[in-house]
Amino acid sequence: MTEYKSVKVTKGRGGWGGPLTITPTDERPLVASITGGGIHPVAQRIADLTGGEAFDGFSSSAPFDKLAVAVIDCGGTARVGVYPMKKVKTVDIHGTSPAGPLAQFITEELFVSGVKPEDVEEA
Amino acid sequence: MTAADSAVVYESEVTQVGGQVEAFLGHGLLIFFGAQSPAELHDISVLHRATVAEDGPHPGDLIKVGAEELEVLAVGPVVRDNLLNLGHLDLKADGRTEPKLPGDVCVRVGDLPLLREGDPFRITRPALSNKEPNP
Repeated sequence: MTEYKSVKVTKGRGGWGGPLTITPTDERPLVASITGGGIHPVAQRIADLTGGEAFDGFSSSAPFDKLAVAVIDCGGTARVGVYPMKKVKTVDIHGTSPAGPLAQFITEELFVSGVKPEDVEEA
Repeated sequence: MTAADSAVVYESEVTQVGGQVEAFLGHGLLIFFGAQSPAELHDISVLHRATVAEDGPHPGDLIKVGAEELEVLAVGPVVRDNLLNLGHLDLKADGRTEPKLPGDVCVRVGDLPLLREGDPFRITRPALSNKEPNP
C-alpha cells in the first residue's frame, strides 16, 4: 500500500471549471500526461505532491480506470471531452471552456483549465 | 498555378478510422491523431502516420483529406504544436475566418469525407501569387 496525498487544482487565468481535488489510490495511481513531448510540468507537480505515478500517455498506454487524473494540452475539441466522458478528472493546460460534440460531458466536477504548476496546491 | 509552384508541408496516410468518426462528421468535425496516440483517443480519431511533418497549416493552404481538397480559412494558435508533436488536428467545416477555439483548423461549411485506411492526409502551401517569376 502506498500513502497518497491530495492536491487541489484551481483554474488559472482565463480558465474554466474546478477546483478539483485529486487523490491517487492503489486502484487509480496514474497521473497521465496526454501532452506529447514527455511529462508536462503540471503532471509532474501533481505526481510529486500526491505520490502518484507520472506517466506519458504518448509513449505508453494504460486503461482509463487506472488514471487518477489526465493532464492535457487540448485546444478545445477532442481531448477535453474524451477523459471527462469516461469520468476521469481532467486538467487542461490551455484555458478552454466546454465546446464541441463532447461538451455535455465536461463539468466543473471533472474538468479544470488554464492550469499552471502554481495552480496545483497541497490540499 | 501548377503543382510545381506549391510545397507539401505535411504528408501522411490514414492507418485507422475510429468508430465515432462518422458521428462527428455530422457536427462538421474531423479529428486526427498520430498512430502512436493513446488508445482512448482512437475511437474518435482518424489515425495516420506522417512521412513529411515540416509545418502546420496556414490560412490559404490546401488540406487534402481523401478525395477532397479544402482551402484553410483560419488556424488556431496551438494547431502547429498539436500537429507536429502529436499528429493531432481538429478540422472544422464551420466557414469561420477567425478560429473559435485554439486548436481549430477552419474550412468552408459543407460535408467532410469519411476517410478510409490508406487515404491521403496532406497539407500543401501554394506559392505566393505575387512571387517573382523564375528567370
